[in-house]
Amino acid sequence: MTSKRGVVTGLICVAMALIAYYAWNLSFFEYESNIYTTTADRLFTLDYVARLSPLLLIGLLSAIGIVLCVVVRGRMRRRDPLYGSFASKVGVRASGPAAGTHTAGAHVAGTRIAGRRPSAFMAVRWICMAGSFALMVFGGILLGTRFAQVSIPVLSCPANMSQLTEATCYYLAHLDELAALPWTGIAAYVLSTLAFVLVFGRMLCGFVCPMGFAQDVMHKIRQATRVEGVAMTDRMYKALVPIRWTMLLLMIGLCFVGGNFCNFCPAIALSPVAAGLSVSLYASGFIMVFVLIASFFKRRFFCTICPLGYLMGLAHKVQPFRLRKDCTACTECGACYEACPMGIKQIYTERQKSDVTDIACIMCGECVRCCPENDALALTCAGRPIYVSKRSRVVEGYGRKDHE
Amino acid sequence: MSSTAIANPVVAQRRREERRRQLFTNKSTHMTQKYLRRVRELGDSLEHMEPFLDVLERIYVRGEHVAVPRGTKTVGTYCVQVPEELVYAAGAQPVKLCSGHYTAFSIGDDVVARDACPLVKAVAGFKQMGTMPAYEDCSLMVVPITCDCKKKIAGLLSETTPVHILPVPANKEDEDVEQLVEEFYGLASVLTQVTGQAITYESLVGALNRTGYAQRELSRFLELKRTTPGLLYGTHAMAAMNASAYLGGDDWARAMRSLNDALVRRAHAGELVTRKDLPRIMLTGSPIVFPNLKIPLLVEEMGGLVVADETCMGERGMSDPVVPVDASFDGLMRALAIRALRPCPCPTFADNTQRIYRLRQMVRDYHVEGVIYHVLRGCLVYDYEYRLMEEELERLGIPVIRLESDYTDQDVEQLRIRIEAFVEMIKLKKGPLRAMRS
Repeated sequence: MTSKRGVVTGLICVAMALIAYYAWNLSFFEYESNIYTTTADRLFTLDYVARLSPLLLIGLLSAIGIVLCVVVRGRMRRRDPLYGSFASKVGVRASGPAAGTHTAGAHVAGTRIAGRRPSAFMAVRWICMAGSFALMVFGGILLGTRFAQVSIPVLSCPANMSQLTEATCYYLAHLDELAALPWTGIAAYVLSTLAFVLVFGRMLCGFVCPMGFAQDVMHKIRQATRVEGVAMTDRMYKALVPIRWTMLLLMIGLCFVGGNFCNFCPAIALSPVAAGLSVSLYASGFIMVFVLIASFFKRRFFCTICPLGYLMGLAHKVQPFRLRKDCTACTECGACYEACPMGIKQIYTERQKSDVTDIACIMCGECVRCCPENDALALTCAGRPIYVSKRSRVVEGYGRKDHE
Repeated sequence: MSSTAIANPVVAQRRREERRRQLFTNKSTHMTQKYLRRVRELGDSLEHMEPFLDVLERIYVRGEHVAVPRGTKTVGTYCVQVPEELVYAAGAQPVKLCSGHYTAFSIGDDVVARDACPLVKAVAGFKQMGTMPAYEDCSLMVVPITCDCKKKIAGLLSETTPVHILPVPANKEDEDVEQLVEEFYGLASVLTQVTGQAITYESLVGALNRTGYAQRELSRFLELKRTTPGLLYGTHAMAAMNASAYLGGDDWARAMRSLNDALVRRAHAGELVTRKDLPRIMLTGSPIVFPNLKIPLLVEEMGGLVVADETCMGERGMSDPVVPVDASFDGLMRALAIRALRPCPCPTFADNTQRIYRLRQMVRDYHVEGVIYHVLRGCLVYDYEYRLMEEELERLGIPVIRLESDYTDQDVEQLRIRIEAFVEMIKLKKGPLRAMRS
């Protein structure tokens, strides 16, 4: 069983490498000549809408893929003796109140779990993500290109010259070009990247990255339609580790063997296209479709194999934003692990250390939001708690009718 | 005429049976009444406790049926791993059937194995006599396979009632969660067959909101107990928790809510039922089920205060909320399974070190000064864990005694002596002067 899984993982890695190497042969949407900048007056014209078509195509293909997956799974489920009778509820959308289910008094129906109340932290996170998405797409037009020398380590594709900042990933994937830069360029690149990584770490993944935003939006859509997701077990997360290493190797090494990682990277299909640029998409277009489908069923799927995110995670030992745990208050209920999009298990199994910041942690705060024990988990900045778990946050909304 | 009836062996047998049942009912109501009286006589006249004591009286003394809306079936459950949400979602009402009844125990003693625990003996006793409506009304009984006694009682119960066994994994890994999710789907389809009502997304959400309400009130209750010691007797708290077995729907949550509101008023007014400096005792170990409240009663009659209750028919059973993370139907089922498995410090799990941390947390939160480790005779799993708990409490510097008891009044005096000595010892530890004054 284990060896079988190993073979599958190995095949996926090899396939990824081959696709990445021959990426420019897999044309998804090709332009005669690429345009990497845009201006304010070009925004929201008919031409701009036409330039969005690759993104619309990707959206359409993803939607078709998702519906196909749901339908196929629904059919499989209906045949299953165990899940069969619940298949209709596992399908696309739970139907309205079924007829004849409201006869007995013990029966109450609802459409929403009432317990949790919205939290300010999550609102801030969503505003940050949406705001930074806008800046990463149109920032250069709105605020000028004065930050163009600053490199920020998120997957906001630098093919978009009109975004607010430079992105670290470009020169990381083209180290030969980095070496050819003047020393001031290298210094600005290295220093700004290091500063961001050391100050924020992977918090950027949770708050700034446009790829993360797109994936979280997919997750929200699934929550709203109540489609069943894919619950990953720790074994599946382990199987992803070689894939992540392959991604990292491809990202850094492809430029030395004559490839271009940007033709493979899904991020190029997001912010440059959204900005209305004419950027040819090769394998990356297909990869983006896959990423959107995967992140629909598994929250932030791409983040678990993101090579840039992994490198940023190396700062988890020193960054000021940390995840703290009171091991005595923890009841090992595993709600945090269930909520964690990155599948960090030690967050609930840890029983000694008070610092559970992990290399994969993107500081999204989902664990704190779901933790039902007072003060058991806290997001802290330089030792100061900014988001602390509370029992009341999980149960307070229940029985509100009686309380008013 | 009468001579022929007596001569008929079948009729004679039936009469004997009837007499035996009548005798059993008389004895068992007498026993329950005695314990209810002792609970009421503890000295706290809190009228908001009345709904809880009243339902216990109705079930055990007056032999009433569990109050359900017309046309609702009841489903008997054992152990905390059975998801009440699924029962509600199928339109039925769950009734917890773990029992602490001495008279039923004495009947069950002849039915099940000698070394079985008194809890299952009491269950077998009630089932044998067939006089308790709470047991007889059940359309289905769900028995989780936790300890060996529960496993065997499932077989015994299935002779007379439809029984669904719920295998509970012995581990808590991701694969075990997947396994339990499957078991819950199986249970869900059995429940829908029994009630004839489909479990839909809406009905499951409604059920989660309903148990969530109870959860919310329990959280408030525990918070009040933590922050203001001496607000109410621990025995009363345990009786209220036990009443949840028979108070379905929102009734328990509403009763708890008015109790909480009363306690808040009491805390504001500074009215405490006991002095603040009484020895603060925590109860842990084998389940303490009504009417077997002799240990908490003895502690509080001897001048201690049961501040914390880590037994599974008490506060632990409900203290961990279901945390729905994913809004899909499957996500809710997963949340139920995770809640039943991961936070549960039941000693039937192979590795239960998390109970040590639970203990440590409760000692810290409730400022516990002494721990009573209760072991029911024949309850092996809890007895196994005594050593671990003792070692941990020794590290924390908290005295602990192990009390073994059975479902009988005969060991009361022995227990009284040990509990009195334990309470006095803690008083002395707190300060000899204070001990002399009291």
